[in-house]
Amino acid sequence: MTTSTLTHNSLSRLRRIPWSGLVVWVVLLLLIIIPVMTFIAVAVSPRLFHQGSSYFTLSNISAALQGYTGRGIVDSLWVSTLVGVFAVTFATAIAWIVQRTNIYGRRIWSGAMWLLLLVPTWMTTLGWTDVVAPGELGSALGVHTLFFYHMFYGASGIVFVLTTAALPFSYFVISVGMRGLGSEFEDAARVHGGGRMLTVRTVLPIIAPALLSAFAISFAEAMSDFGVAFTLGSSAHFPIATYTLFNSIYAFPANFPVAAVIAAVLILSTVPPVFLQARVMRGRSYAVLSGRTRSVRRHQFRPWTRVGITATVGLFMFFVLGLPLIGAITSSFTNTASFMTSTGIHWTLQSYKNVFQPLPSFTTLGPPLWTSNQLGLWVASATLILAYVLARRMASRTPGIGQRITDVFLLGSIAIPGIVLGVGYIFFYDQHFITSHVVDLYETMPLLIMGLIASAVPSQARLLTGPVGQIQSSLNEAARVHGATKWRAFHSTSLPLLSRALVWAWLLTFTKTISELAIAQILYQPGHEPASVVIETYLGTIWASIGAAATVITLLEMVGVIGVVLLIFRLVMPKGWRRIGEAGVSS
Amino acid sequence: MSSPSFQPARVEIKDVRKEFGTKVALNGVSLVVEPGTFTVLLGPSGSGKTTLLRCLAGIEQPSSGEITIGQQMVFGPGRFVSPDKRDLSMVFQDYALWPHMTVRKNIAFPLVGSSLSKPDRTRRVDNLLERVGISALADRYPNELSGGEQQRVALARALSARVGLVLFDEPLSNLDTDRRDQLRIEIATLTRDAGVTAVYITHDQSEAFALADRVGVLRQGELVQYTRPEKIYRHPKSAFVARFTGVAGEFAVTNVREISEKRVTVQLPFAPHMFIEATKSENSPYDKDPHLFVRASAVTLHPATSTEGAPGVIRDVAYNGRGYEHVVEVGEKATLTKVYSVDRFDRGDCVKVMLDPVSCFVMNAQEEA
Repeated sequence: MTTSTLTHNSLSRLRRIPWSGLVVWVVLLLLIIIPVMTFIAVAVSPRLFHQGSSYFTLSNISAALQGYTGRGIVDSLWVSTLVGVFAVTFATAIAWIVQRTNIYGRRIWSGAMWLLLLVPTWMTTLGWTDVVAPGELGSALGVHTLFFYHMFYGASGIVFVLTTAALPFSYFVISVGMRGLGSEFEDAARVHGGGRMLTVRTVLPIIAPALLSAFAISFAEAMSDFGVAFTLGSSAHFPIATYTLFNSIYAFPANFPVAAVIAAVLILSTVPPVFLQARVMRGRSYAVLSGRTRSVRRHQFRPWTRVGITATVGLFMFFVLGLPLIGAITSSFTNTASFMTSTGIHWTLQSYKNVFQPLPSFTTLGPPLWTSNQLGLWVASATLILAYVLARRMASRTPGIGQRITDVFLLGSIAIPGIVLGVGYIFFYDQHFITSHVVDLYETMPLLIMGLIASAVPSQARLLTGPVGQIQSSLNEAARVHGATKWRAFHSTSLPLLSRALVWAWLLTFTKTISELAIAQILYQPGHEPASVVIETYLGTIWASIGAAATVITLLEMVGVIGVVLLIFRLVMPKGWRRIGEAGVSS
Repeated sequence: MSSPSFQPARVEIKDVRKEFGTKVALNGVSLVVEPGTFTVLLGPSGSGKTTLLRCLAGIEQPSSGEITIGQQMVFGPGRFVSPDKRDLSMVFQDYALWPHMTVRKNIAFPLVGSSLSKPDRTRRVDNLLERVGISALADRYPNELSGGEQQRVALARALSARVGLVLFDEPLSNLDTDRRDQLRIEIATLTRDAGVTAVYITHDQSEAFALADRVGVLRQGELVQYTRPEKIYRHPKSAFVARFTGVAGEFAVTNVREISEKRVTVQLPFAPHMFIEATKSENSPYDKDPHLFVRASAVTLHPATSTEGAPGVIRDVAYNGRGYEHVVEVGEKATLTKVYSVDRFDRGDCVKVMLDPVSCFVMNAQEEA
């Protein structure tokens, strides 16, 4: 064998290695898999991490599935299933009305969904508490809210808040499916004698993959939520898995092995919906965005029906978004434990003053909010790049085993509660061999950034898979064969088509990072608390109104950033880029 | 990308093989496309024609073999040249127009980075817009155009860079018949005027014959015949090629007797008293299950009173503008379709059918594996 043959063979072998896939998996290993698996390994091998006496035991599994923690797991499963069903049902109805009819204020309703996506569940809970609790806004308006209060502080309240949190995820996934669904399918059903209901029954299966995707993502979001579990679940004495996991870790003595079992159950619970979705998706392509895409024809309601439908959607959005926001805002303008006291309502700006001139033993919001913004900038930018790379892999027209594993893995990762990631990070990155021989990241900002990226990437990658998958591969291929390098093909074709989706993905991650609580609380660098950690210190106290004021300021700041970014997008981006996302050329 | 000293490219494909997992899409395809010629690759779905075109474009990477475009080996052992460096352009089946760019920007895309000055680029784009008849649509976006207009933009874009090779991926398959005929003529004239080498894939044999200097017929990843369209029509290499390029009828025959170097006589079951003269296939044997393959152009219809020809009954007749196409029953379960006549024969009429031996071939119906 000659030297040149050897070199050629080595080159061929090197070329055959899927380098991009390899790099992606190394990043995922360091960000998610190893920290989480390390934590989960504690369940069966507690001694490996100095958490017990056995190198291998199954006793923690039976312990976790019984009693209080067992009930938490069962509650989580049925609550999340119900949340998935409700979220998909409401999202389908609203998506159809907004995307396919002549409802008034289409942009407002889509905007409201984005706003709903930004509101953390702990804030929704706070807002509703400020509406329905005795002596709060409802009582002040003369409404007997006791019945609602009892309803809210129980399973129904948890299902309700989690449904409102999952609703926008379902809405955006289903909207994409609806936009790709030509009205000819509805027309075909109608001209062949199908009534309204039969038409709906005929057309719905066409978007079944989108519906199942929406269910899977809503289910996973509900399973992993910590905000509701921490606030409503604990107050309502309704244990759900993330809270029992939290309790296991913060109890004395901490029971990490049982917490690890709960974490494993949370992750495994997402397998059935993903499996179901994968079966339905088999062989189907949702590539609908191309130069040939035509405008969707919208159903034209008669004037009064149009007004009625608009009012119904408006009322619904007011109920899920407006009312809790009003609750939180009104609460922030008082400086007492409850909105209404025996001497009436006392409006004051004192809580807002206290946000920046804090009471003793509390922290001012200014520097933490700046820290949160810096975190948001780093996390959103890094997440966007990684999520795009993953979305491209998952949107492949010919998914191999690697893509399928990535898909299942990412959906499973959405169900990893922040608290599991946080503890996983402490476990792994505080291991002696890491801190001594690799890098010491414990209690540093980079570790918090990594944790937040790990928490954001799975959901962002899945959300981006829709828009990425909609772009016909021929658009990129056309650029390449007409002389564009890979980079030019990306920035002249894919980037413009995805620009709107990418901007929103960045904004979503940015705002979610600012409101994120669980990971921030565990991994923040001492002396550099993010805003959510500072706000949380108020919420459990009689100074909740200061927490509400800090929440309102933080929310306003997030909305301000969104406004500025969107304004820049509008002013800077070429007209053709901005057209994508409008009717007929939507992504 | 565009070269000022443009020359039509010679394309050489040598023993190219492409596998997708266990499925073999291309099984050792070899062919040479001469510079400045128009080659059409014809084949049914799954024959590998799209894969071959994508391998030429560099969108797919073959598993083995060699591809040379012009002077440059673009694929071979240890070598893969990316699509942007192959000096070619392509018209896609779905047109692949970028929805965020105007018509003008779509057409100008391949010129970005070329040595042309901005005014020259604008001039070239204007010239192309005029040649394809869409000057008025220059500032529109693709979704504001009809299918035919979009196809014209795709064609103009492919021709704008003046590359040596233009690839066409079933570009007419999404158009209605009128537009298809019109655009087929435009593709043929504009491509030939530009002097480029063209490789075009289709599953429509009439489109292939109308456009091609040479036709390559693909089946199950193999190139089964590659020659001039006339030769394919007159001398199909196999039963598959004959069938795929259009036959009016196919009948099992007996008593095959060689009467000259190129001719045989056969007997048809439904006309046992007649000896039909037919052409021997140059490449395909007729020793196992000989069949007679009859091209539509071989059949002429005569009144029943004629003394010559096999008897038949008209089962259907359709007016096609120039004359009539008939379906003729010539025996039990034996029909001839698309039989043209300037005279109309009505359904149920008895006729006599005569066959021109030049367009009747005798070959085995089943091909050797």
